[in-house]
Amino acid sequence: MTRYVCILLAATLGLGACATQQNTAHCSAPLNRDLDTAMMEVEQRLASGCEYHFDRYFQQLLSTAEDNPDAENKSRFSDHLLRANEMGVISQRQAKELYNRYFNVKFVSLTGDYNTCAQTCPVRSEVMNNMQNELRDKQVGLLKASADKTGYYRADHLLKEAQLVLEATCRACNAGAQ
Amino acid sequence: MPSPHPIVAALASCLIAVSFSSHTLAAGQSGPVVKLFPTTVLEDIRETSAVAEELENNLQEIIHRLDMQQQLYQESLCEGADADQGCARMAKQLGATYLEMLNAMGERLPEMERAVNNTRNSLEKRLRQELGQRTTPTTLQNQLLGQTAAVSATTRPALRGRSGVRLSDRFKQYYDLVATHRNGPSKSLAVVAADIYLDMEEASQLIAATQQEISRAALMEQLNQSFGLITPEMAAVVGGVKEILFGEAGGETPIAAPPYAIGQDTFVSPLEM
Repeated sequence: MTRYVCILLAATLGLGACATQQNTAHCSAPLNRDLDTAMMEVEQRLASGCEYHFDRYFQQLLSTAEDNPDAENKSRFSDHLLRANEMGVISQRQAKELYNRYFNVKFVSLTGDYNTCAQTCPVRSEVMNNMQNELRDKQVGLLKASADKTGYYRADHLLKEAQLVLEATCRACNAGAQ
Repeated sequence: MPSPHPIVAALASCLIAVSFSSHTLAAGQSGPVVKLFPTTVLEDIRETSAVAEELENNLQEIIHRLDMQQQLYQESLCEGADADQGCARMAKQLGATYLEMLNAMGERLPEMERAVNNTRNSLEKRLRQELGQRTTPTTLQNQLLGQTAAVSATTRPALRGRSGVRLSDRFKQYYDLVATHRNGPSKSLAVVAADIYLDMEEASQLIAATQQEISRAALMEQLNQSFGLITPEMAAVVGGVKEILFGEAGGETPIAAPPYAIGQDTFVSPLEM
């Protein structure tokens, strides 16, 4: 009896492993080089057990878009993120953050509802580093993927101005606190 | 190449700080964020401009004389001819004029210091209240972005640290800027205020350091008067002051990247902030 149970268990595990292997292969298969097609493939996979690969897919899609720069890519990514949100793979907050990080001039790293003295000044250098990193992502999203030089230069300009204004404001905040 | 003398650095900083004042007046008259530049701040800035202009006028005449004396000294092949009595006399005259320049700066600097400190303090208060306490990072970003979008290459202000433009010319440039701003787009006042404040703070520190340095430099020159020497330090100071007062307009470094086209159709995502 014990023998039969063991065989049954082994067979079940074997089938499970097989299914996992198939799933992994399905999730990891290369994406089409056409962005629209690739996005459809990604969405199909996300709907069929590959949701944990979302981040990797997003980077792959960006890379595909870089190879085919187009002003329309912004709206493609926006729609893709909205669909991923509707599928429940990512939250709306994540969708917004990703879209704005890559495709908007504004910096998600410089947001908040408290006053600047209290929220930003204590961590100013960290905020500036984050903005710098975000600018690199905007270089990918705005400049390379969307061919939006204007947008990228505005973001670059905004970063420099924010740096100057925050330096002065935080110095003034500190002087007032002393 | 000797490093810039503190006096020169301080003076440069003062002039730079003042240079922004005209721009601020312009921006203050047209921009929507007038709270950063109430009348008191504008008055402080105006006074600083006037004090700096006076300093410039005083130094300009002395510098011109120093120039003439230096030219005469060089044309007379006096360099290295320490034993020659005529050359020694010229070197002494040069040293005396140099002392006069130091004294002129020494006399005007306390007033300059007071004016700069007043401006710095009033701007500091406004920045703290308006941008530090009444603004969130999100609104600050929106404010900067809303106004930078309209800035063209011709209206872009100078960056901190620009120097070497004749002061009177600079004022003329700012007048032009005022005229442009009357009907044109306005630069973010937050940036202008931040710029002036940081410059004023730097200027204030340098003025204090310069005041200490002047007495040392004057003492050294009084000693040199006994020997009739033209020191490299003298040459560096005079050279630096000249550069500030009579320098050519330096290449203006843009605060960011090249200008961009305005009004093109852009995609607006529902995800956008």
